[in-house]
Amino acid sequence: MNIVVNGKPVALEPRATVSRLLGELGLEGPYALVERNGEPVERERYAETALEEGDSLVVARPVAGG
Amino acid sequence: MRAKGEQGAVNDPLTIAGREFRSRLITGTGKYPSFEAMRDAVVASGCELVTVAVRRIDLDDVGDAITDWVPEGVMLLPNTAGCQTAEEAVRVARLARAGGLPDWIKLEVIPDPRYLLPDGEETLRAAAQLVGEGFTVLPYVQPDPVLQRKLEAAGCATVMPLAAPIGSGRGLKLRHSIEIMVEQAEVPVIVDAGLGAPSQAAECMEMGADGVLVNTAIGQADDPAGMARAFAQAVEAGRAAHLAGLIDESREARPSSPITGLVT
Repeated sequence: MNIVVNGKPVALEPRATVSRLLGELGLEGPYALVERNGEPVERERYAETALEEGDSLVVARPVAGG
Repeated sequence: MRAKGEQGAVNDPLTIAGREFRSRLITGTGKYPSFEAMRDAVVASGCELVTVAVRRIDLDDVGDAITDWVPEGVMLLPNTAGCQTAEEAVRVARLARAGGLPDWIKLEVIPDPRYLLPDGEETLRAAAQLVGEGFTVLPYVQPDPVLQRKLEAAGCATVMPLAAPIGSGRGLKLRHSIEIMVEQAEVPVIVDAGLGAPSQAAECMEMGADGVLVNTAIGQADDPAGMARAFAQAVEAGRAAHLAGLIDESREARPSSPITGLVT
């Protein structure tokens, strides 16, 4: 299954969840913020949200700022 | 007989949306030479609320997470820096909250890259939307007492007027308008942006501002922790002076010593 994360192609096994994706990316930390096809994903649903072929995700987090 | 007074300035707490903060200084986490320097400065400042921005993660260079460096017990206040429209700001706020950040948002809608001045109309539109969605909204605005009233009516938790452009260090250039905002405030007025020196923070607090937000002046100092401590002291002193009541100015001298019973 191919998806796009922050504009880059990422290959995952079919029906991989958001949690699985974050694990693959080394981003299991407390504040990986995820938007899937333009909609924010609730943290409590990362483990149950299955991704689909062609999904486009934004993965963000807090950074230094004023 | 000497009176036994309390030592030092002990400020009354700042309450935002029902939450109490012992410190009236809020700091940003940007522009530090390292996360370690940021952490040390936050500790030295005694602040209990720090701002963070929200950005896409570079998948090729994940690096350290800033959240690992913010001292425990300090609340994160995500901002919408970089957003130029209400829609963009709402999107960032929703993303931050869904991902587990607090449902507090420092709302910044800034279309102008040179002076980084906020767009009041878009800010008000985003604020109304976000308050309706249950966010605690702290909008960054130009010092505009009319806009302040509209933001209060929309349900904002604070109003945060700029003293001078972000990062400029020019101090309380827009004092006259901020004075009016302080006078008519129904929610805390936090002076945000443009403060370059602790004396300027003290000036804001003496004037009656409820708090100040400082980033560049601390993060870019030679010794950020030392400067953070200096700002904390200035904020405490300024608040204490405000509560104690400043004297009225006079154009002419008023003697401090008796004018009768002179020896000569």
